[in-house]
Amino acid sequence: MSNLTAKTFDDFSKAFDTLENAKSFAKTLHRNEVLQLARRMMQDKKGIEHLYGFADQFEEAGLFTDTPWEQPSKLQPILVAGTLKATGNTALLEVLSELRMLAIAKGRYENSQVTSKDASYFLNEVMAHNINLLFPDTSESSRIEAGPETERANILFQFLADHLSLNAILHSLLSEIDRLALQRPIMVNRITKMILTAKEAVTKTTTKADREKLKKYETAISGPTPISKKVLNSVGYENLIKTAGQNELYREAELFSESMTKTGLVCPYHADFLRYINKAKPELVGTALCLSDKGKANFEEHVALIQKMIDIAVFPATCQSIYGLSLLLNRGVLSSLPVAPGLRRLIDLDIHPEVGKTLESQGVTPNGVMVAGTISVLGQPLGIGQGMNPTCQSARGISLWAQHAPGKLLELIAKAARDREIEMPLEGSAINSKSLAGGLAPDLNKELDPISLILVPHLDRIYDEMMKRMVFRGEDGHKWVNPAIYGRWVSDGFTAVTDPYTSVISDYEGFVRRFYATHHPDYNGGHELIYPNPVGIFITNVHANLLGLHAISIQRIKADPSGVMRVYFYNPNNDGGQNWGQNIICSIFGNGEEEGESSLPFHEFVSRMYAFHYDPFEIGETQAVNDDVIKKIETLARDSWGKNYVWAAQPGANMY
Amino acid sequence: MTEMNQEKSARVALIGWSLEAIEAVDRMDRPFVVVGPPDFETYALEHGIDFVSWEFDRINEKSGELYDTLNELGVEVAVPLYEETVEWAGALNSRFQDDMRVFNRSMLFRDKGLMKRKAQMSGIHVGVFEEARSKEDVIRFLKRVNTALLKLEGDPNDPIHLKPFDAAGSVGHRVIQTAEDVDALSDNEFPCLLESHLDGQEFSCEAFIHDGKIYFLNITEYVHLGHSNFVPASPALEEKRPLIKAAIQDLVDSFQIRYGVIHPEYFITSDNKLHFGEVAARVPGGHIFQLIERAYGFSPYQAQVLCSDPKTTEDELLRFFPSDKDAVGYAGSLMVYPKMKFIERLNLPDELESHPYFEKHDMFTPETSKVADRVGFGNHYGTVFFFGEDSHTMTDLLTKYEEHDFYL
Repeated sequence: MSNLTAKTFDDFSKAFDTLENAKSFAKTLHRNEVLQLARRMMQDKKGIEHLYGFADQFEEAGLFTDTPWEQPSKLQPILVAGTLKATGNTALLEVLSELRMLAIAKGRYENSQVTSKDASYFLNEVMAHNINLLFPDTSESSRIEAGPETERANILFQFLADHLSLNAILHSLLSEIDRLALQRPIMVNRITKMILTAKEAVTKTTTKADREKLKKYETAISGPTPISKKVLNSVGYENLIKTAGQNELYREAELFSESMTKTGLVCPYHADFLRYINKAKPELVGTALCLSDKGKANFEEHVALIQKMIDIAVFPATCQSIYGLSLLLNRGVLSSLPVAPGLRRLIDLDIHPEVGKTLESQGVTPNGVMVAGTISVLGQPLGIGQGMNPTCQSARGISLWAQHAPGKLLELIAKAARDREIEMPLEGSAINSKSLAGGLAPDLNKELDPISLILVPHLDRIYDEMMKRMVFRGEDGHKWVNPAIYGRWVSDGFTAVTDPYTSVISDYEGFVRRFYATHHPDYNGGHELIYPNPVGIFITNVHANLLGLHAISIQRIKADPSGVMRVYFYNPNNDGGQNWGQNIICSIFGNGEEEGESSLPFHEFVSRMYAFHYDPFEIGETQAVNDDVIKKIETLARDSWGKNYVWAAQPGANMY
Repeated sequence: MTEMNQEKSARVALIGWSLEAIEAVDRMDRPFVVVGPPDFETYALEHGIDFVSWEFDRINEKSGELYDTLNELGVEVAVPLYEETVEWAGALNSRFQDDMRVFNRSMLFRDKGLMKRKAQMSGIHVGVFEEARSKEDVIRFLKRVNTALLKLEGDPNDPIHLKPFDAAGSVGHRVIQTAEDVDALSDNEFPCLLESHLDGQEFSCEAFIHDGKIYFLNITEYVHLGHSNFVPASPALEEKRPLIKAAIQDLVDSFQIRYGVIHPEYFITSDNKLHFGEVAARVPGGHIFQLIERAYGFSPYQAQVLCSDPKTTEDELLRFFPSDKDAVGYAGSLMVYPKMKFIERLNLPDELESHPYFEKHDMFTPETSKVADRVGFGNHYGTVFFFGEDSHTMTDLLTKYEEHDFYL
């Protein structure tokens, strides 16, 4: 029941009027009163509705002036959840901003930065990310956490859901799940959570396609096989498979592996199943892991080691490693000589108790968790993510070693897990993580795969220290730090867009031409990339505004099935399918990408590049690149991240 | 500059940064400039406010430049907004008015020892006071006062009050009753002023003065000093307005105050004796200006500007001010201090927000949960504003909600 009185509505109108009429300098003076009254009105539906009546005037009245909400194009759906739970007037402004977006989406007024379509998209994304607020669960923890902020958010989301279509929200949620699952991340907890919440959003009018898609994902994590569908827990499952016949077991193996390869998600019963057949029916392991001929050969050659690994590491809590194991064998990683002994060492490694604590998991020993993590990393090198940490450099390192230096990676894991230190040489002097403090992420967010949990704290500090030592080099420190950290196969040649001292862009054309001449097969003599190239990019949001610098690696450069030359790259940012604005949308599927790869047409990728390595002895035809292409790239750059930089006039730019 | 001279009213300089004051003066249609700390320069620039950046705590041979700058901008009147800017405004006005004593007078407001002495010499009733340079001075004063009060060995001491010479209101104010209280003092609190305790009901006045004459007198009733007050005073105190007004005229005459607003505090005993506490020449604390505006309907900031300008005519003043009987109701404010060290959330009773006297409050769950240490009565975390027709209901509300824990 509403406890709002006519007086509150009246007071709000008056306060809003005062704010609207106030001069720009005095907005802050009158904003608080509007927010106070808005806070009261947000307590129920009637109040929210009344507020929405003003939503088309919020911006003009100066409600968002001098606040982070001033420019709607800069807002990010992913951040809304956190802000809504904030204290102070932050959360209030956030709610009002959503109402403003709804007013734009509904065409009640026009915003110069955000179209009605943009606003709908934004709100659907917000809803998709926060579906739990729309369908509050009743668990003990959410009950304890519930406060006025959560309640307010619930009311807001109910209101938005009334105005947006629930089916549209479910649809964008499912697209989001598709997008994330297609990238085959090692950490699937976010996807799992989204599947569970999507279930709540199904209504009578949900389309058949969406229903089926949801079912595919839901069964993948809950039970994709006849026997797993019947049971409630692992004990029940174990009892049933013990009495199952050969045909039934074969069917289980087939369906588990089919569901896993289709979604990249592994059902916990799959782990129970694999553990059982590992001992009782080893001949089914190949089917349960979906092994190719190459994978089977690898399996047979190392059968004792693999059985041992399954025994110690594959449990319902670590079931996702089954997918890693499948890929590890199919990629033939065990054929690399140091890998098998390296893995055997990890099985018996004396893990430091402090490291052991961070690896705690339900019913699995720390060694088991570590081996499971190692299997995932070696099997899915492009599935490594940095989580909520600013540690893209470290994640990229683990991914690069998993692909090209697995022996080195296993050595680093062992050192970090046992001795809690890693040492890396930088131009002859040793940098030891033990003697370093800080790093970019001194408080590492722990939602990471086990190998990142073990390694990132060390890699992060070493990287940070190395960069500090490069500060006065007069060039971007990555030139020396990347080869020192990742390995000597990173080329010595290096160029960056900006001058490190002045941040001025003085020769963009030269930068672009050099990249074409060293990386584009049409201009570099037809060479392909041998090792991945760790490059720096400018990350921009959907409105092409600069968000920051970011580390990724170029995996391959190749013409896609339709003949367009593309850059295929690995983005440690948990989501390789981002929209970078100007219609530059990273593709993750359908353009020749392998699992975990993102791709962009060559020129679009170049327009976001910040720095790259190259071999100075292998520069192709710099001048052969068409001027029009260069112009096109420069326009994309100048109109996006380039707005944040000073561009020097280019002497002789017209001479070409 | 010629354009400036054609304007009817002289340009005003607001000394100190206050958006409320800026907004009020902006509505007056008279040219003004804000003199404020450098931190506000960007904001002022962004919003088109004429601004002169000045660091008030740095006094040196360059201080005269402020006058030159303002003079070039055509400023003729300086209005102080904060305790710390009173002498700056005084110095500027003595140059504008070519009267050195304006500055000296402003210094009276900034030195409580000097202020008391001046009041005493003019025959105004004050308590016993002394200037203290050390803890020994405090002990001796405490003893002498209590001896004079004929206290016997073992009787609890009557308290004495210790105040910095130049701080606003209750900042640095300490009540001393025992030797332990004295021990707890730190050396940087000296020198300071010591005063005997004055009994009686405390209240403040806001007197708007032009050419030495009081044009408007507001009486603010303190329900609990530093916590709650309301405007105008209750009928019981308003009844004593003639007595109070005479005392203030006396104060104005003896301090030779000619222009601006003063904010004196008095104690009144049941037998109608007025004791002078202290007087300031700036915008009062406790949101009193907001309360006056709510109760009487005029902007005290605008009034302050008018009264500070010697060129304002009597006619303008008479037109501007309402009669002191014209209040439309009682406007009260309750200043809220958290009662714990850590705050988890805000606790606003529905009953309060739905009370007909409730106007608004400005409290939000703070972003940081640790409560800042308290200095004087400053740093209140929020204010609740009330408005209604009955002074008793007002007093009851203010008393009741002072006990309430707004922060948990």
